Amino acid sequence: MLELIDVSKKFKQNAAVKSMNMFIEKGEIVGLLGPNGAGKSTAISILSSLVEPTSGDVKYQQKSIIKNPVALRKIIGIVPQEIALYEDLTAEENMKFFGRIYRLKGEKLNMKVQEVLEQIGLSDRRKDMVKTFSGGMKRRLNIGVAMLHDPEILVMDEPTVGIDPQSRHYILQTVKRLNQERQMTVLYTSHYMEEVEFLCDRIYIMDKGSLIASGTKDEIKRILASENTISVKADYWNDAFIEKLKANPVIHQMNVEEKEITFVVSREVNIFTKLAKLAEETNVSLNAVDVKNVTLEDVFLHLTGRALRD
Amino acid sequence: MILQMIKKQALLLLRNPMELLLLLGLPILLIAILGTALGNIMDGGEIDLQFKLAVIENEAESEQVAQFIAKLESGNLPEEVIEELSSTAATVQPVATLTDVLQSEELEELIILEKVSPNELTEVTEDDSYAAIIEFPEGFTYELLSQLFLDEGRPPEMTVYHNEGAEIAGNIVEQIVTAYQEEYTVGSFLGRNGIDPEQLKLLSTDFKQEVSSINQHNPVNSKAYYTIGMVVMNALFMAPTIASIAFREKQDNIFDRMILADISRWVYFISVLLTGMLFAFIQSLVVFTFAYIVFDVTWPDLAAFFIITFFFALAVGGLTTLLTAISYRIHSERIISFFSGVIVTIFAFLGGSFFPIGENSAFIQRLGDLTPNGAAMSAYLSIIRGEAIMDNTDHLIFICCFALAAIIIGVLTFPKRGAAA
Ligand SMILES: Nc1ncnc2c1ncn2[C@@H]1O[C@H](COP(=O)(O)OP(=O)(O)O)[C@@H](O)[C@H]1O
Ligand SMILES: [Mg+2]
Repeated sequence: MLELIDVSKKFKQNAAVKSMNMFIEKGEIVGLLGPNGAGKSTAISILSSLVEPTSGDVKYQQKSIIKNPVALRKIIGIVPQEIALYEDLTAEENMKFFGRIYRLKGEKLNMKVQEVLEQIGLSDRRKDMVKTFSGGMKRRLNIGVAMLHDPEILVMDEPTVGIDPQSRHYILQTVKRLNQERQMTVLYTSHYMEEVEFLCDRIYIMDKGSLIASGTKDEIKRILASENTISVKADYWNDAFIEKLKANPVIHQMNVEEKEITFVVSREVNIFTKLAKLAEETNVSLNAVDVKNVTLEDVFLHLTGRALRD
Repeated sequence: MILQMIKKQALLLLRNPMELLLLLGLPILLIAILGTALGNIMDGGEIDLQFKLAVIENEAESEQVAQFIAKLESGNLPEEVIEELSSTAATVQPVATLTDVLQSEELEELIILEKVSPNELTEVTEDDSYAAIIEFPEGFTYELLSQLFLDEGRPPEMTVYHNEGAEIAGNIVEQIVTAYQEEYTVGSFLGRNGIDPEQLKLLSTDFKQEVSSINQHNPVNSKAYYTIGMVVMNALFMAPTIASIAFREKQDNIFDRMILADISRWVYFISVLLTGMLFAFIQSLVVFTFAYIVFDVTWPDLAAFFIITFFFALAVGGLTTLLTAISYRIHSERIISFFSGVIVTIFAFLGGSFFPIGENSAFIQRLGDLTPNGAAMSAYLSIIRGEAIMDNTDHLIFICCFALAAIIIGVLTFPKRGAAA
């Protein structure tokens, strides 16, 4: 339905997006995951016709939208990363204004405004000015404003940054519901992998302007299929234990914390006997040894050697 | 759509009591302060326009009339005609008429007239306390009478000198003299078509009226002066106020939302123009109305008043779009604060909002008239003195050109597409 074809964007010398390919089909929730500065927002701006790419093409239903974005603009709703609202207007006034710029009016506009206010749980605060809202409420209104014209595709740029857990939960549930009940197509951008893991069918992982992985959740996790993440717990460590573990060539991406050490190791290695032996030699008493489920975080770490969040 | 945008801007402005207070309260406060404080310095609450005028007559008028009558008698006209012309000529005393008018009650607040003997001319020219000098050449009355009654020769001309530092006074005298000469040219037409002494008398009353109207029968008092000065200055602040709201819309990604809703950027641009214009218009009217009620600042010609206010509001609208476009282009509000912090003050100063700066120098007057507020102020002052709007077409044309130039530069500067992100 909507696709980026070999899209690049340069800001002067800085390449924000490098030959990126991506597609979104009707009814999916697609995740775009990447650390800050990866180029997610830039990719979204290009995809939504706000910014022209330096090269490449954007197609909506097989037609390029770069020169003629009207068809796309009618059916796309954008939730920008920053709160894009009038602080000095009430929630309702904001809604009405943004509804008007989407050419809604009269009774239809009023009904739509009430409906969306209910969806985002702000009906009882509709007469209050936005500047009196909490971060979470602003985020919700920011989303609501993008839904007034019943978009087929909702593009959300980090909609949960900097808000309380309840609001975050509420937003995630709302997105899921919109998708399930109305078959709304969603592109969800985040640097929280749990959110993306919870919501999305397909995922793109981006770093430094390039896509480094894409596919369904399972496909992506299979990148790590040949490895296990092992967690070892104890009350205390000693240097000998850590040194010897580090020196072992089959172990990598080791991370030492006070009572837990995690590392990645090939599946073929029988790590349990090795660990038991090592613990005995160095007088460390282990409390637990687990094989962890692979997370997207691990995939990102595997692909880039860096954590998703710093 | 544009209407929606304007409505929303109005709402935003109304929600900002601080800004409203600055736009409406400040000018009113300043009118009160400046009008009262400076008004007293400026001589009894009125701007001091009184000036000294010297009149030099190179040859006594009565002698010239006698000379003319003698000439008539020696000519070969019928006895009756000579009789009639002589008696009429005796009543026509152009120099006396002019000096009478200049010394009349209506003008005594404006003009202090002094008759000066011809040999003092150089002395008077060098004396800065005289704003202007009117010199009647030798044989002036004689020649004028010959022209009037016998259609002989050309109408004589008097010479007007005016002091470098007294532009306004010079201007007034210039206008009086022109009006005077026009009257007597019409007179000469009458002369050729038979003389009617009654008509001649009428002529001189007509002239008196005309002179009175030229000379600001009701001089501008300081409250009126500062009402105009403060309105034109504070209306300029409307431009950065609206431009700053518009720039915030860009910063807060609201402008992007409009683009995504497929609102043309030019619709947005026009809405900024109209908002700036409309709000400046309303702001001016509010302050003028307040001044009318409280300070009794009245306008002899309301239509003219509205025309000037409209044109000036257009210029403010142009400035609003220009500031908006530049701030969008450079991604910064700096130009807007520079305008409201520095440029408005310079414009207001040159335009004469603080004191009549152009009064003593034609150059500064001209410079002031090259600011939109200065041109508007000159036009307002002119119509409040009772002059016609047609006398101010040059100011109106300038304001209009200024607005157009600002809009055009704004259009060229406003980012075309894809500037967001
Ligand atoms: N308008 C812009 N001008 C210049 N550089 C930009 C602009 N927008 C983004 N960038 C740069 O492009 C890169 C990607 O930014 P962005 O798309 O915002 O990343 P993300 O949304 O993943 O955090 C960053 O290095 C950022 O500094
Ligand atoms: Mg971003």
